[in-house]
Amino acid sequence: MHKLKSLNNLDSLRKKLLAERKRARATIVICGGTGCQASKSPEVIAAIKKEITGQEMEKKVHVRATGCHGFCEQGPIMVIEPGNLFYCHVKAKDAKEIVAKTVKNGEVIERLLYTDPVSGKKVRTEAEIPFYRAQDRQLLNHNRSVDPCAIEDYIAIGGYAALAKTIAGIEPEAVISEIKASGLRGRGGAGFPTGRKWAECAEAPGDEKYVVCNADEGDPGAYMDRCLLEANPHLILEGMMIGAWAIGAFTGYIYVRNEYPLAVQHARIAVEQARKLGLLGENILGSSFSFDVEVARGGGAFVCGESTALMASLEGKVGEPRAKDIHTVKDGLWHKPTVLNNVETWANVPSIILNGAKWFAAKGTKNSKGTKIFALTGQVKNTGLVEVAMGTPLNKVIFDIGGGSKNGKAIKAVQTGGPSGGCLPVGKFALPVDFDTLNEAGAMMGSGGMVVMDEGTCMVDMAKYFLNFLQDESCGKCIPCRVGVDRMLEIITDIAEGRGSREQIALLEELADTVSATSLCALGKTAPNPVLSTLRYFPEEYAAHVDHKKCPAGVCKALISYSIQSDKCNGCGSCLRACPHDAIYGRKKKVHIIDEKKCLRCGICVGECKFAAITVS
Amino acid sequence: MQQYVTLKIDNARVKAVKGASVLDAAMASGLCIPHLCYVPVLKASGACRLCIVEVVDNGRTKITASCTLNAEDGMVIYSNTERIRKLRKNIAELLVAQAPNSRAVQDIAVRCGVKEVRYPFRNDNCIQCGRCVSYCTEYSKANSLGFVGRGKNRHVEYPLGFRRDLCKKCGFCTEYCPMSVTPCGGPMKAGEGRLCGNCDSQIAAMEHFSGICVRCELGKGFKCVRQTYV
Repeated sequence: MHKLKSLNNLDSLRKKLLAERKRARATIVICGGTGCQASKSPEVIAAIKKEITGQEMEKKVHVRATGCHGFCEQGPIMVIEPGNLFYCHVKAKDAKEIVAKTVKNGEVIERLLYTDPVSGKKVRTEAEIPFYRAQDRQLLNHNRSVDPCAIEDYIAIGGYAALAKTIAGIEPEAVISEIKASGLRGRGGAGFPTGRKWAECAEAPGDEKYVVCNADEGDPGAYMDRCLLEANPHLILEGMMIGAWAIGAFTGYIYVRNEYPLAVQHARIAVEQARKLGLLGENILGSSFSFDVEVARGGGAFVCGESTALMASLEGKVGEPRAKDIHTVKDGLWHKPTVLNNVETWANVPSIILNGAKWFAAKGTKNSKGTKIFALTGQVKNTGLVEVAMGTPLNKVIFDIGGGSKNGKAIKAVQTGGPSGGCLPVGKFALPVDFDTLNEAGAMMGSGGMVVMDEGTCMVDMAKYFLNFLQDESCGKCIPCRVGVDRMLEIITDIAEGRGSREQIALLEELADTVSATSLCALGKTAPNPVLSTLRYFPEEYAAHVDHKKCPAGVCKALISYSIQSDKCNGCGSCLRACPHDAIYGRKKKVHIIDEKKCLRCGICVGECKFAAITVS
Repeated sequence: MQQYVTLKIDNARVKAVKGASVLDAAMASGLCIPHLCYVPVLKASGACRLCIVEVVDNGRTKITASCTLNAEDGMVIYSNTERIRKLRKNIAELLVAQAPNSRAVQDIAVRCGVKEVRYPFRNDNCIQCGRCVSYCTEYSKANSLGFVGRGKNRHVEYPLGFRRDLCKKCGFCTEYCPMSVTPCGGPMKAGEGRLCGNCDSQIAAMEHFSGICVRCELGKGFKCVRQTYV
């Protein structure tokens, strides 16, 4: 492909690509995202390609390996166009049948269709699946139509049109005011108005400015940014180019978490392809605008997702945050004005420029506009990536899209915003998801993790888990975060192990307040959120642990014991054989007994018993 | 020509050199804000968070460390409000529980109003204030000390763990360390929840004259500017 030297070049390339695409009769779309790769989609892709070549159908059928479709639980996912037939859990051995039946003759293979867990019916297309139907996939819907390693795909669906429109005649100030008018807020967690950030950076003195894309996503259970960057890297690149145009930057960086190899690879390929086409580099599309992007791999720490730590890491220093009394828009990367935005924020930019601020602001609530992607995980039937308009009630996300509880236990709470977010109880599920309401309720939007918990989850144990994570991931620079979080963990461990007292709960609350008020960076400031929110909404669970030395959910090992019900046990011996600690005694056909002293409460026996004779108390 | 800014700290009008930090400005005018990791000649890192103050900005108060906060014209700072005192006391309590055997840390804890320690003592000694590291890198330019690891495992170490030869033997790291200069004569016992007897007189002084500057070992050892005013 030749270098694009003008705006017209881009237009004619797009027309040429569209004409070519019309000729292909059918397209088999296979998800090659990380989730589906784990369920062996590369084998499926290879098998389908082999089958197509074997039957000499290369010219008629186009096979496209795309990024994540969102419904990772059902992977590998395959969509056959035209008709949008949706197959899930596809295996390599199905390839022959799919090509022979569906592609050639248009027959539907019932076995591969998705079964709606609520109605039990087979569903043929994505649009009919409740998981997709209730969503508003403004960003994620492109994933299906784009091969992340092919810039042609992105251009064919209208990619880089927003860049062309910008270069053709939108002044930087106008770009900023458009973004301001759209009400876009940073999707990384804090929700800072993006337009204001850009304006401040554009006004900051200095000729050398930078734009940075923060793709150092590390929340347990969250993978929105990973998915976007893996599936549609050009969308993010285009957003960064528009941002660079607006603030006057010549260099951009994509800081990707090193543990996301596919995202690193796809981002690098995308940058390379854009350079070849002349969309990055000197005089982009024949204009005076020059901009280039480098992909940097992360330093392997959760804290490197914090803006100043990320910049220190980019500079090659230890990834530790510094004081932010002077904002990074004035004193950022290499002490130059820098705009740092999250992957999802950048991804929203092109469509705002293309469709206008009004279009974007039409969705959402008063102060939170547009859509937000959540990673729905935990004890719900349908897990995966979910994109909804801001202001959608939690209920809709958890029950309509998520399909409700997975194993029949009642849903108790949802944890939003990752380790530094908070837990909201069922009573708060009517709340709309937007930045301000979630903050007021003691949780936060965060980057968009959403972990659903049922009656089998102990909130004290949950808070302990997140504190342990944060204590590990704290950089250790400032005292409140390093020592304070560690002390909080110490107290909560005492509570979980039955040594807790009422005074300790009061101390925990006071310490949590100190840590959140005085820590150096946002990691420390938000670290006590899991503790504070569970103390606020589930005080009775803490009370049970402290006063009665009981764990209501039966999770905290020091406070529970396993016993065998004599009326249900028939002496089959499967628990005895399964117990790794030799803690179960009993003769054949006689009631078995658990030795409390030897039992390490691993719970393996509960899973082994077919007669539900082992209970936790 | 030297430029000056005027700001208000605890309702007092304070004149400071442009570019100075709020902590510098306060100390130069005799207002002591307790601090630990900050050393006048070195770049402030904001690690110990003892020097926190309230900044009033557009009617909203924000809590931040004064050592990393640049003094600006018209700034309004409160360094001694009830909230700040409580937070500072909690931080000092965390510190002293970590290193109960340092006179300097004990003095600071007393200065911040700690009478009881509610956590089990740890005797970690190093509290990672980073004074040695900043001195070694910034002033001696030896780069022989640095932090290694993250979170709980973070510690001061030679490069790669063995390059002791980089040390210029200036000795300032030991001189600037709140532990090595002033070890405490009467180490505290875990679980007693009380600072050692040496501090009793200081606690009494603090109770009678709250806000008074305790002539802490840290100040003495490092020729604290406070010496002139007490």
